[in-house]
Amino acid sequence: MGRTTRPWQMSTNTDSGVAARVRSGERAALEQAFNSHGGAVKSMAMRVLREESLAEDVVQDVFVAFWRDPAKFDDSRGSLRTFLVTIAHRRAVDLVRAEEARFRREERVPQESEPSIDDEVWTRALGDTVRKALDELPDRERKAIAMAYFGGLSYVEVARRLGEPEGTIKSRIRAGMTKLSVSLAGVST
Amino acid sequence: MSHSDIRDLIPLYALDALEEPEAAEVDRHLKDCEDCRQLLSESYQVTSLMADDGPAPSHVWQRIDYQISDLEKSEIVDLATRRKQRRWMSIALAAATAAVVFAGVTIMQQSIEGDEALVALAGGVADNQGSVVADFVVDDASVAQVVLGVDGVGYVIPTDSLAPLDSDRTYQLWVITPDEKVISAGVLGATPGPSTFTWKGDVAGFALTREVAGGVVSSDGDVVSLITDI
Repeated sequence: MGRTTRPWQMSTNTDSGVAARVRSGERAALEQAFNSHGGAVKSMAMRVLREESLAEDVVQDVFVAFWRDPAKFDDSRGSLRTFLVTIAHRRAVDLVRAEEARFRREERVPQESEPSIDDEVWTRALGDTVRKALDELPDRERKAIAMAYFGGLSYVEVARRLGEPEGTIKSRIRAGMTKLSVSLAGVST
Repeated sequence: MSHSDIRDLIPLYALDALEEPEAAEVDRHLKDCEDCRQLLSESYQVTSLMADDGPAPSHVWQRIDYQISDLEKSEIVDLATRRKQRRWMSIALAAATAAVVFAGVTIMQQSIEGDEALVALAGGVADNQGSVVADFVVDDASVAQVVLGVDGVGYVIPTDSLAPLDSDRTYQLWVITPDEKVISAGVLGATPGPSTFTWKGDVAGFALTREVAGGVVSSDGDVVSLITDI
């Protein structure tokens, strides 16, 4: 299977230059990365956490982590934006799950902040291209992906909340992601 | 799990939708499998499109910039300063090495030498006019000291009297504002060492609580100690 260079891969020269400057301790390079990608990082954190102050904490955490260990960014694997947004999602999910674990530990019923299974809430604010790609998915696949990605839930937890077998949810997510990969191929970040 | 099984999990891994045992297995597999690393990169490309490219929150850059300066300061503190602050150094030597902090803070890994540097810095800040210096006390013994400088950089220096927690628990520091809001200032770990936090604003008090590992967004209060007399 041959692979062609995608637009997002073409931006890596700039990204690698910024990363190299960060590695050499140039704080202006980090600020440049922040100005370019801080909005995307915050928007990802907001989608999961839905609280401004927590999302800003994640933004801070992501860029300080990049400053402390810029070598973790590998420009052959994708853009700097993708790298930073991916870290932001992981950190946001960690916060959500810590809160979930607290509820379970205290044997309490989660409050209304529990992620809704109404994926419309999550997908409403997405850009046109991404929203269209999500809209083209079967409802069941879109819902499973939205609950996992925007709700910070594991597929096991998604299955529990939807009352479906874990294997079914796993298959839906996998199928939906495969379709998204095809429909969004070539979309630049 | 076979390569095929792991490959099936990659899209879920990219969504952060795996739980720990499976995620760890995927992590191990990725170290040696270029095919799966490539698939993961492509999956991350899809997930990153779910973020919007709005304006960067410029006020957060000030916090980042400040925190980096603070990290650099902690690395260049010299031995003379540390000797001068012997009283502060003496309480840190048994400290653990990790502090995970959010709410205006960071994730830091401190070596023992780094611990000493932080303690020395805290001592210097404590001597400055306008700094807030307070003790978390349990049974008449200080379990941790809090120092907050006028520049908004704070330090938490646990003492030997702070009991270690099980690994699934953590200590968490909270700032109490004059209008009685309680805001997380950092997750300190199960066996905290000296760590930093940032807080720019008025402070009416601090709280130290025990929480589930990873910290919580809001606490219902397994309060270890409360400081309200600032």
